[in-house]
Amino acid sequence: MPTQITSSAFSRRAFLGGAAGVASIAVLAACSSGGGSGGTSSKTIKFWNMPWGNTTFNTLDKTITTGYKPSGSNGAATYQVIQWANFTQTFASAVSSNTGPAVSSGGGTQAFQYAAQGKIAYADDLIDSWKSNGLYDDFLPGLIDTMKTDKGYAAVPYNLDMRVLWYSKSLFEKAGIDEAPTDWQSYIDACKKLKAIGVYGWGQGSGAGNFTGSHTMVSHMINNGGGLFDENQKPNVVTQNNIEAMEFMLELVKNGYTDPAAATYTSANVQAQWKAKKFGMGFDGAALNQNVGGDFQTDLVVGTPLVGQNGGKGALYFPNNIMMYTNTPSQKGSEAFLTYYYKNMAPLWTKNTGVGLPVLQSIADTAEFKANANAVKVIKEWQPISKTWASPGGDALFAGVTVADGTPAMSNFTQSILGGKVSAKDALTTLQNALKSA
Amino acid sequence: MSASSVAENLRRARRGVGMSGSGSGAPRPTRKSKKFTARTWTLLAFALPSLALLLLLNLYPVIYAGIQSLRSGSLIDSGTFVGLQNYTNILTEPAFWKAAQFTVIFTVVGVFGSWLVGLVFALLLRTRIPAGGVFKVLLLLPWIVPVVVSSTSWNWLVATPQSPFPVIASHLGLGNVLFLADPVLAQVTVCIFKVWISFPFMMMMMASALASVDTNVYEAAKVDGASNWQSFRLITLPLIARTTFVSWILMTIFCVNDFPTIFLLTGGGPVNATQSLVVLAYLTVFQNFQTGPGVAIAFLMTFVLVVISVVLYRQIRKVNVE
Repeated sequence: MPTQITSSAFSRRAFLGGAAGVASIAVLAACSSGGGSGGTSSKTIKFWNMPWGNTTFNTLDKTITTGYKPSGSNGAATYQVIQWANFTQTFASAVSSNTGPAVSSGGGTQAFQYAAQGKIAYADDLIDSWKSNGLYDDFLPGLIDTMKTDKGYAAVPYNLDMRVLWYSKSLFEKAGIDEAPTDWQSYIDACKKLKAIGVYGWGQGSGAGNFTGSHTMVSHMINNGGGLFDENQKPNVVTQNNIEAMEFMLELVKNGYTDPAAATYTSANVQAQWKAKKFGMGFDGAALNQNVGGDFQTDLVVGTPLVGQNGGKGALYFPNNIMMYTNTPSQKGSEAFLTYYYKNMAPLWTKNTGVGLPVLQSIADTAEFKANANAVKVIKEWQPISKTWASPGGDALFAGVTVADGTPAMSNFTQSILGGKVSAKDALTTLQNALKSA
Repeated sequence: MSASSVAENLRRARRGVGMSGSGSGAPRPTRKSKKFTARTWTLLAFALPSLALLLLLNLYPVIYAGIQSLRSGSLIDSGTFVGLQNYTNILTEPAFWKAAQFTVIFTVVGVFGSWLVGLVFALLLRTRIPAGGVFKVLLLLPWIVPVVVSSTSWNWLVATPQSPFPVIASHLGLGNVLFLADPVLAQVTVCIFKVWISFPFMMMMMASALASVDTNVYEAAKVDGASNWQSFRLITLPLIARTTFVSWILMTIFCVNDFPTIFLLTGGGPVNATQSLVVLAYLTVFQNFQTGPGVAIAFLMTFVLVVISVVLYRQIRKVNVE
């Protein structure tokens, strides 16, 4: 028989008394949990890092982080992995509620967005201190300057993501191509020979979540002396250099040198086409051969940067970075931790954790890194000629580049070029309008 | 008195309306005392924590989002108050209307396509067949399997020229069919995927409705010489109408709010061809970092959904009365 609650059995006074009791317990519990979760000093540096590599990356990274033994009054460091899924929301909610990290990596343009909101602790003092301990000179040429804003260095370069030319040795051999292309015309010639054996010479994709296609478009603009932003950091895409670059892309599409379904290829679709030996050449990240895997690790090789129509070289790259936040228990503590981290992070590259290319010359000089001929070629030939989203107006990143970095405007532009039914000027004009209104 | 007037009088009687006028004979509701007793207060006090939690979890985010839709903020900055500017900007944006157009197509095909397929399977499963239970489970799989898995499978089926469907199309002499790269075919593919993923839900709804229909009605109709089609049209459909309307309401909400089906298969492309309003809202907020316009799109969607739901609920009430 169900119990019936009556007014006599449970008075309002009793209810209120009970409620007050529960509230007191909750308050006490809240108080005790604050102290209870301790064990960490009030000056502890919270370091949030992303899964930059394979499964071993974060394990090793955590070992490096927790191995930090602070000197003086500096706090130790705690480690937190932040997954790429919804990472912008994760950071946004944490930073705006002042529960975020003191130091973190993240999206390539994240530091510049937060700097514009006053949430970033500029790294000028840190970089100055690195001038005396050798770290500053160890960075690859031009890298640190990509982080410089009007108010100071928004972040410190951490690893590099690049878009480079890849080709299949076996398919080149089959198609009778003796030498890898060196300029646009030889690229078209190679595509023609690959098409003769049923292989696409411009392996590409711009489907759901795949922004490599749009990166390649911008990379070719930069290759021809163009790009998206002028010296005033404003979108300026309808330029002669860009028109020439896109006409080159459209020529590749119209001649059937690219897969007609490429506009909606995800990264997995692109890799599947490389595996199916349908792609013989194309532009992709610096670890394409490892991502495709199997025999392709040795069959796929990095080509040299092409000479653009205007006679120069250039490509797009992404200096991923580590930033410090104003919400830190100690700015000196954040800087001390980062100095330790940069001096001890080499194993992330020498132990094959799958992280992007290194930013320090000393890591690129290790025997372990030199064993990867493709990576060495990328660092040697592609890094010096690569530029950021900010090109051609400048090389230092800024918050405004977020209108182009992985946005629908760029995907639509790329898909329209890959569709081949637009003129270069019309497509660029549409992109210009989209970037300006974003 | 004719048969139709008898039926009309019976209908009016069920409504509690007099034969001669608009409710003169209808019973008046008795007024009950609304005095709050101590017991009422106690019960209210019990309900209060749940109510507070409900308000905190539902009302607060809605109000906060409503405020955001009136501001020019981003994910990390609340921005400035811009009044209804976000709404006026959106309503004059061609991308919004293109997305609205696809949302309508996607929803109409999704609702009626899945209902038709679901109803056919529900009718087929009424007949006793060997291993019927196994078939039922197999038919439920598209609904049970996570969308991430099924969208990956569909991508594998259609994305590249070497995928099974393009190969079959090529063997059938249809040439190189680009299921996802051609804008129109991409829309068709996404809609078919939605029907495939949703029909098991409709099948369950229709099966439960059909189970409640008294078989004696069909026997009586057979005696009166009704054909199978007449039985289906004049008996089955009216008797399952209420469940049908409820399932349409639910599926309309599912379709309009469906983000993963579209986003995981095409990302809204090529060139926005399969971009629905919910995908547009997501891209606006999380890729363009424009919180105000993105939330405004979501609010406009909610408004349209409420209107559609109210219209369909009125239809249900009508069915109940008749």
